[in-house]
Amino acid sequence: MDMEIEEIRGTFRPELIPKETGGDIEDYEEALHVLMKFVGSMSSALEQVSGRGANAIVYQAGKRMGHDAAKMMEKTDNLEQAMKEMGEVLGVEFYFEMWKPSDQEGYTIEKGNETVVKLLFMDCVVRQTLRRTGLPQKGPLCYLLYGYMVGAVEEVMSIKGKLDIDHVGPNACLKTLTIKWGGK
Amino acid sequence: MVEIEIDEDACVGCGSCVDDCPNDVYQMNEEKWKTEVVKVEDCMACLSCHEICPAQAMEHRDIHVAKRLYIDRKVNDVLDKII
Ligand code: SF4
Ligand code: SF4
Repeated sequence: MDMEIEEIRGTFRPELIPKETGGDIEDYEEALHVLMKFVGSMSSALEQVSGRGANAIVYQAGKRMGHDAAKMMEKTDNLEQAMKEMGEVLGVEFYFEMWKPSDQEGYTIEKGNETVVKLLFMDCVVRQTLRRTGLPQKGPLCYLLYGYMVGAVEEVMSIKGKLDIDHVGPNACLKTLTIKWGGK
Repeated sequence: MVEIEIDEDACVGCGSCVDDCPNDVYQMNEEKWKTEVVKVEDCMACLSCHEICPAQAMEHRDIHVAKRLYIDRKVNDVLDKII
């Protein structure tokens, strides 16, 4: 296949924060696909080399990202408020909402010193990446979002959190977030 | 509110959607031996049933359709020309 590469030529001046990206939407798309393939193959290689250890590595990376991303957020001990803030942290690429079965009254369930809430992730770049590279869901890459969510919620609420994957689908994934009260 | 329509002519009655749906939205109609929607209010639009149905017999309406950034439009363009 012949591919025409358009070279960008121009003047370049040093500047603190470059204003121009030097590309258009097509370039972003191309870059996204290259990154998806790269991240996908890195994830399966990691799994091949370290087995189940891959999940722990990716989880830690995600958790660190989550803590960093949520540092600027307002602290709260209200779970619903925290979920609203989390929505802002995770942004449109990890668009989620609280979910409950029709026969359950509220979104949260109290279990001793734990509060449980189900989260429905509708948009997810990890899922996009897995589909792009033909990898199954629930693998190491899913632990990135798992860690990210736990890290961010721990940061916003100053508690210990845990996220379990209930179900994965091509259009949405259901997870259970468990908050353990009583500090870190 | 989600609406699910089953194309009964297409449904082959394999029951895969009944087994796969995590929220028991479907059940088999034992007389017709076709799937039927019994708990649409619990559908979370994960679309696992779409992926598993061999007959593409269901349609979900009024749902959040996730972005499909994984689609490579260049590959699709090439396929369009071939097919
Ligand atoms: S979309 Fe998911 S929840 Fe809804 S009927 Fe299909 S499998 Fe069940
Ligand atoms: S998976 Fe498809 S073909 Fe099988 S019972 Fe369900 S709707 Fe019918």
